[in-house]
Amino acid sequence: MSKDTVLIVGGGPAGLSAAAGVAAAGKKAVLVEKEDRLGGAPILSGYAKLVPSGEWAKDAIGRMVDGVESSSNVTVHKSNKVTKLDGDAGNFTATLSNGETVNAGSVVLATGFTHFDSINKPEWGFGTFPDVITTTQLEQMVGSGKIACPSDGRVPERVAILLCVGSRDRQIGREWCSKVCCTVSANLAMEVREMSPETQVFIYYMDIRTFGLYEDKYYWKSQEEFKVKYVKARIAEVTAASDGRLLVKGEDTLVKRPIVIPFDMVVHAVGMDPNEDNPEISNTFGVGLEKHGYIERAEHYTNTAGTTRKGVYSCGSAYGPESIDDSISQGSAAALRVLADMAG
Amino acid sequence: MAIHEKSLIDVDRLLTHDNLVIDGVDVSGHWNTMITPRTLTDYDDSFEAKIQKIAGAENVHRCWQCGSCTNSCTMYAQNVNFNPRYWIYATRLGLKEEIIKDKDIIWQCVSCNKCTNICPKDVKPEGVMKALSHWLEEEGHTEETHSTTFDYEFWDQIAKRGRIEDSAVLKNFFAKTGQALAQDWLVEMVKRMMKHLPMTHLIHSALHAVFPPKTKSWGKTGDVLKAYVKEQKEAAHG
Ligand SMILES: Cc1cc2nc3c(=O)[nH]c(=O)nc-3n(C[C@H](O)[C@H](O)[C@H](O)COP(=O)(O)OP(=O)(O)OC[C@H]3O[C@@H](n4cnc5c(N)ncnc54)[C@H](O)[C@@H]3O)c2cc1C
Ligand code: SF4
Ligand code: SF4
Ligand code: SF4
Repeated sequence: MSKDTVLIVGGGPAGLSAAAGVAAAGKKAVLVEKEDRLGGAPILSGYAKLVPSGEWAKDAIGRMVDGVESSSNVTVHKSNKVTKLDGDAGNFTATLSNGETVNAGSVVLATGFTHFDSINKPEWGFGTFPDVITTTQLEQMVGSGKIACPSDGRVPERVAILLCVGSRDRQIGREWCSKVCCTVSANLAMEVREMSPETQVFIYYMDIRTFGLYEDKYYWKSQEEFKVKYVKARIAEVTAASDGRLLVKGEDTLVKRPIVIPFDMVVHAVGMDPNEDNPEISNTFGVGLEKHGYIERAEHYTNTAGTTRKGVYSCGSAYGPESIDDSISQGSAAALRVLADMAG
Repeated sequence: MAIHEKSLIDVDRLLTHDNLVIDGVDVSGHWNTMITPRTLTDYDDSFEAKIQKIAGAENVHRCWQCGSCTNSCTMYAQNVNFNPRYWIYATRLGLKEEIIKDKDIIWQCVSCNKCTNICPKDVKPEGVMKALSHWLEEEGHTEETHSTTFDYEFWDQIAKRGRIEDSAVLKNFFAKTGQALAQDWLVEMVKRMMKHLPMTHLIHSALHAVFPPKTKSWGKTGDVLKAYVKEQKEAAHG
């Protein structure tokens, strides 16, 4: 019976949580994931230890994946997308890219975000200098167990993390705060200091937004216990020095002076862009996008997890920058909505 | 005047040669004025740790630059160049030159501890001010203060004999700081001592002044202490 089945698109933390919720209630979920693996960004991009649990992503998110893949109530279609959605709330028919069709009473879009591509900020040296990397690459480096400059494998004496790369920047049409990158950067800085105590870590910031309980646990701790240095400056340019190190240029706003400081490695704290598929998703599923390009949230108070289309729900970072924990909670909220639709 | 906006430039960044001839052209005075760049080109990564070793500055790394200390500061109200927040930042990043530039005002901290009471991160800025003054003095950027001279005299006598002789401390302190021994208050004090103290006590004091007493079996203790202090200083100043 199609009404008792839910179609979930996207197998990241949000989608996995929605699928687990539906399955736990004894109902059927069909999970469609475009990549060949479940787990979303933390698995696909190889994150190291997660905020705030401190657990390795492959263990924590791996548990969610195992739960869903071993559930008899969930059918998983990897390496697939939904190409067409016919019908209405209570009776949808989705066509997958492998040609199969799925009948479902409701749809949950857990399609997540896309990492900002640092190539779009060429002045910060990504793509030009091998020792300029992103936080996703630093996550992988931490996961590999060794902090080293990609250019020649030397242990960096000094690492600069530049915050708000691809966020809070009208120049490139990104007027949002990506919410997790301050905390993630503080966490990474502590991991670098722990693995490589001889490496000094400097974080260049405009504001520090380690929201809620992350304030003392990440910002204060990184500063007070791990001696991470916070410098108030938005970097203008990253160039190469004659000795092969990198030069970070900008204005230190607290000393009101220009700075040109040598570093061995520069890390971009990349933001969370709207999923690059969103225009296509908007067309296929008939849902609206909000002004930044994320999926438009319905009135939240009484239509939680809703979109602009009846019977189509959403959750997690598909709605805007979101943390893993909140994406998981929102996945459960979406599950509750679709279960209520089935009951009603 | 070649440069009109001099008020906007730190005086120490203006370079002018009174007499300069280049390729036969006389460009003496303001014709050759140059301004050195304000760019900061490096951090001294070891400076903060060095200051933190001085008692009082242990928490300097906690500062997040909120400015509460400066805002509450007794001295800042007198002189806007007295800015604890700024010196703490310079200490953190190792901008030593910025500290040295303000050597003539940092010591003016009156230890009112308003900053310490208001600081949300428990940095103890008052302690940092003391530590910075101490560092400036130790490195020879500021002259030895009278209180340091006094400390050294006191400590010298301890190292030699295990105890001090008051009259010798005073005598040497006044000599080292170029002050007359016959201070009014001292003369008055001695007069009254002569009048009121028992004779045996006076004889005792006079003897001590001539033959300074030594702690029994002091032996090599002074040398051991000296070696220890030297070691500690070297460790702190690298
Ligand atoms: C460097 C970095 C480190 C981070 N570390 C942390 C951390 O430690 N703690 C924390 O709380 N948050 C962290 N985050 C944020 C975290 O990545 C997100 O909160 C989380 O991934 C959101 O989960 P999601 O399921 O909403 O989206 P995603 O993880 O993006 O999952 C979306 C899934 O949908 C799939 N998909 C997309 N489009 C389609 C389509 N059209 N059809 C089918 N499938 C599709 C994708 O392939 C993906 O598998 C970090 C972010 C970054 C950039
Ligand atoms: S979380 Fe921090 S780094 Fe990320 S966009 Fe917001 S302010 Fe910038
Ligand atoms: S203790 Fe010194 S720095 Fe602190 S408020 Fe008083 S004068 Fe200012
Ligand atoms: S009050 Fe404390 S945290 Fe704030 S600037 Fe002063 S020392 Fe730093």
